[in-house]
Amino acid sequence: MTNEEFLSKMQDVLQTEEELKLDTVLDDLAEWDSLSVMATMAFLDKDFGVKTTMKDYKNVKTIGDIAQKAGL
Amino acid sequence: MTVSSFNHVKISGVKTVIPENYVDIDDELEFFGNNPKKLERAKKMVGYGRRYLADELTTVTDLAVDAAEKLFEEMSIDKNDIDILIFVNQKPDFREPNDACIAHGRLGLKKSCATLPIVLGCSGYPYGLWLASALMQSGFFKKCLLLAGDVPARATDQKDRKKAQIFSDGASATILEYTSEERLSYFVNGSDGGGWDKLVVPFGGMRLPFDKASFDIEETDENGNKWRANLSLMKGADVFNFTMDVAPKLINEILDVSGWAKDDVDLYAIHQANKQIVENIIAMSKIPEEKTPVDVFSKYANSSTNSVVTVVCDQQKPLKKVVLCAFGVGLSWGAAAVDLSGMYNGGISTYIPPKDRPTREEQIKHWINYFKGEE
Repeated sequence: MTNEEFLSKMQDVLQTEEELKLDTVLDDLAEWDSLSVMATMAFLDKDFGVKTTMKDYKNVKTIGDIAQKAGL
Repeated sequence: MTVSSFNHVKISGVKTVIPENYVDIDDELEFFGNNPKKLERAKKMVGYGRRYLADELTTVTDLAVDAAEKLFEEMSIDKNDIDILIFVNQKPDFREPNDACIAHGRLGLKKSCATLPIVLGCSGYPYGLWLASALMQSGFFKKCLLLAGDVPARATDQKDRKKAQIFSDGASATILEYTSEERLSYFVNGSDGGGWDKLVVPFGGMRLPFDKASFDIEETDENGNKWRANLSLMKGADVFNFTMDVAPKLINEILDVSGWAKDDVDLYAIHQANKQIVENIIAMSKIPEEKTPVDVFSKYANSSTNSVVTVVCDQQKPLKKVVLCAFGVGLSWGAAAVDLSGMYNGGISTYIPPKDRPTREEQIKHWINYFKGEE
């Protein structure tokens, strides 16, 4: 998956209208809440086979950090 | 995982009963910061919709007994033909005796009927079908009544938004019969007791009995959710990961065991934990979307033990090959591949409580007098 595809999928996962970049700060997004964390967990598991826990997201600052977890 | 199959047991009828009271998520805008956009987003992502709540006097046994009485009447079943009664639930009427015995008495079943409970939540219905089928396969019994359900919504503080908008109450009755004709069914069961505390009610058993001080416990988390000692605790993210891990494998294993092709199945009744979870299970197990309802969660929410039954009862067309897949508290999981040809589907009916029910105060007075020997 390219970064562009990842960013477009993340937009859908988070159900946000904001255009996402790798350096987008998650706390700046109104949609970054517990629903989004769950959706992100499912997305990483389903599309990348990467298992994460709620705690993993405490240190996540940007969309790029999530891409890194996905192995991109 | 444990695998088993039977060839002389048929499921001849099923009926679900739900309480009359319900809450629509659209009426709960206050919990979404009064922001309609936030509410719509949550509906889209998780599927929040309508959930049914038993009132403060209605128990799972009230709902299940009502389902059984209605099913007996609709199928013209002679209750004296019931040789086995199994009742699956996780939130019983009393700490003792078990609800199966109470339901046996209320239904007026014969005294030679073997009666036993299964204490399981969301995974319970496939377990109930499995145990009932194993017993019926012997040919010693004519009919089995399987009751299943729970009142997780009644047991949840509606201000605890980790759980309140997810759970719903409901119960069902299912009739299983021995048949001399060949009728195949397959089961896969499993457990991970290491995860026993992922969904837990810590107080009220012998490990941590209630005392006066426990009633004063009231904790609030960083999101404003409240917990008191009589309520359950759920590690949502851990349960979510457990589900993503177990459910897709479970579906593929039950298909392997039954030898059914994915497209041959008429209905995949997946435990409606929430819409997001069911959609992820569909994607990961690669089962046909059009045969796997996700909207039952929006219509009836997650009714725990009865969730997969609600999916079946919600179907309008006759069913043949059905795969049931359920998972939850325990941690525990079970799947069944069953042939429902010719089954009577009694659908989903509403429980109307009797007008003369004793109030809480009257019940307490009764037990005090009972103790004193005055009743």
